[in-house]
Amino acid sequence: MPEAEALPTVQQFLDSWELFRDPVLAAALAGGLLGWLGVYVLVRRMVFLSAALAQAAGLGVAAAWYAQIHLGAPAGLINPTTGAVISTTLAAAGLLSARGGALGRSDGVLGWVYLLGAAGTLALGTRIVQEVQDIQSILFGTAVAVSPEDLHLLMWLAGVLGVIHLVGLRGFVQVAVDEDGARVRGLPTRWLSLALVGSLAAAVSLATRVLGALPVFAFTVLPPMAGLRLAPHVAGAAAVSALLGAVAGVLGYLVAFLYRLPVGASQALVAGGGLILAHILAWGLDRLHHWQAHRHGHIHSPGCGHLAVRHGDHVDYLHDGHLDHAHGDRHEVHTLQGPPDHGHDHRPAEPGHPPQHRHGPLCGHPQVAHDDHVDYLVAGRLHHPHGDHCDDHGALDVVEG
Amino acid sequence: MSAPPTHPDELLLACRGLVVGHAGRAILPPIDFEVRTGQAWAVVGPNGSGKTTLLRTVLGLLPMIAGDLQRPRRGIGYVPQRSAMDVDVPARVIDLVRSGAERGWSFANPLWLFKVRPQVQRALVETATASLCSEPWQHLSEGQKQRVLMAQALAGDPQLLVLDEPTSAMDLHAELSVFQLLGELRRVRSLGVLMVGHNLALLARHATHALLVDKDQGAVVAGTVAEVVASPAWAVRYGLPVAPALGRAALGGGADA
Repeated sequence: MPEAEALPTVQQFLDSWELFRDPVLAAALAGGLLGWLGVYVLVRRMVFLSAALAQAAGLGVAAAWYAQIHLGAPAGLINPTTGAVISTTLAAAGLLSARGGALGRSDGVLGWVYLLGAAGTLALGTRIVQEVQDIQSILFGTAVAVSPEDLHLLMWLAGVLGVIHLVGLRGFVQVAVDEDGARVRGLPTRWLSLALVGSLAAAVSLATRVLGALPVFAFTVLPPMAGLRLAPHVAGAAAVSALLGAVAGVLGYLVAFLYRLPVGASQALVAGGGLILAHILAWGLDRLHHWQAHRHGHIHSPGCGHLAVRHGDHVDYLHDGHLDHAHGDRHEVHTLQGPPDHGHDHRPAEPGHPPQHRHGPLCGHPQVAHDDHVDYLVAGRLHHPHGDHCDDHGALDVVEG
Repeated sequence: MSAPPTHPDELLLACRGLVVGHAGRAILPPIDFEVRTGQAWAVVGPNGSGKTTLLRTVLGLLPMIAGDLQRPRRGIGYVPQRSAMDVDVPARVIDLVRSGAERGWSFANPLWLFKVRPQVQRALVETATASLCSEPWQHLSEGQKQRVLMAQALAGDPQLLVLDEPTSAMDLHAELSVFQLLGELRRVRSLGVLMVGHNLALLARHATHALLVDKDQGAVVAGTVAEVVASPAWAVRYGLPVAPALGRAALGGGADA
């Protein structure tokens, strides 16, 4: 390969850092912000919401160019950024007022907004030929430069939304995970839903203007999927997702520079690669936990901590009211049945506890499933509460304490 | 949290002429019933009879069409169906139980979880879920899941527990354990209980009162288990003679838990 056609190097990227600093910072901010918000979108199964908003933002950018070029709209009032904000706000408001609300089951309306945004952007693109490069960047994220105004706006937005979402974190999580429960507990679910859609609309419109619709959609879906797979709870998933989104934004930019790829496509591919790595890591952690659980006696064995009892010709372990029978690396659940040692004859039990003691799930005596009822194990005898006393339901031979 | 104590025989939930339905259209005749401390009400009826609509109206998730609805001072603890929880969303037991202690705008108060720690701990201990705190929801058995959802509802220190199909898809032992735990909680916390379910024999055995709703018959019957089982609407829906367990419960006045 001739020297002139050699691919750029990391050193060249670092040497030109002044040139790349703003777009890289913008990608990190947008990736982090969208990664965080995307977790809620994914938990609510509303992936299409971010796609629709991103396309609506794209249409707003294209419409602003069109208005400037053909209608002579003043650039101070109608520019790609205000166009994106206006169209995304309109789309979000329309979705909220649609039947079921934007966070309900209005998939058809979302699809409509998505298609109108995508088709409208492409159609307007043919009328603004001299700016066609911008239409490409709107849809697929080929932008290599970011204006200082857009970067400052993005920094402000990230700051404001960061504060709102840290303060309201527990509320946002509850509304996303269990909206009915949150309403019963009196949480302001309507306000929280509005704030969530508003945050998403603001982040998506600005990020689409800066990065393009493709990476914006990728950042709201792929890092959140990885976060939800890796973290033990939704708040953790949001933090992991924000970090992965920011890293994908920066690495995607670097990969695009090194391999001469479109920036948006490169960022989406890096985020997708990160998701695969997250799944491999989560699988490995699952195996490790399983192995540790096995090692620490999760499979019952003598000395495992559970009460061992004789059941017919074998030994079972009393666990959560059931008789567990260890069978290789798994358990069979056995149930104590009928006689030999009792006949439900309401024979009063030998007192093994004070007469006023009442058996129940909290009484401290182990529960034993017995036929269609539950007995309590007291000093090797099965007690069955009956009125103001206990019936004796026979012996259970404890072989290990 | 020093909540005012519950008085014996306190009125927790009062529905007077309550009309429930969807989009302004009533699906049942007006409903009158009162839940007091220590009572366990079983809402029974065939599928699609309006049980869930009534439950959601009582919870405030659906607007009532007419009538008067009075809810308990310290609120309602809602135990949703286990299947309502998305298994793809990661959650540890402690996260779920803590979320039950949130009230109104409490989520914006960073000290709230410290404040409610004692009642969260109490809920965990009473439902025997304290040892499961760091377990992921997905790894729990059906019985454990039900106890965790009950702990979540109790974490808010409510006076009334409302349970939607608490024992569906459970084996008999787990089912019995849930009803026993409910009986124990009713006694220890002076709770009122309102539950919807399908296992008529168990519901009748562990409830003190019943509410039969039947959209097809246009019937609503409320009263003690014995009264409801003896009603004509019951006979039309479930036929005669009543199942042995129901008869026993009816004769004995129910609730042996």
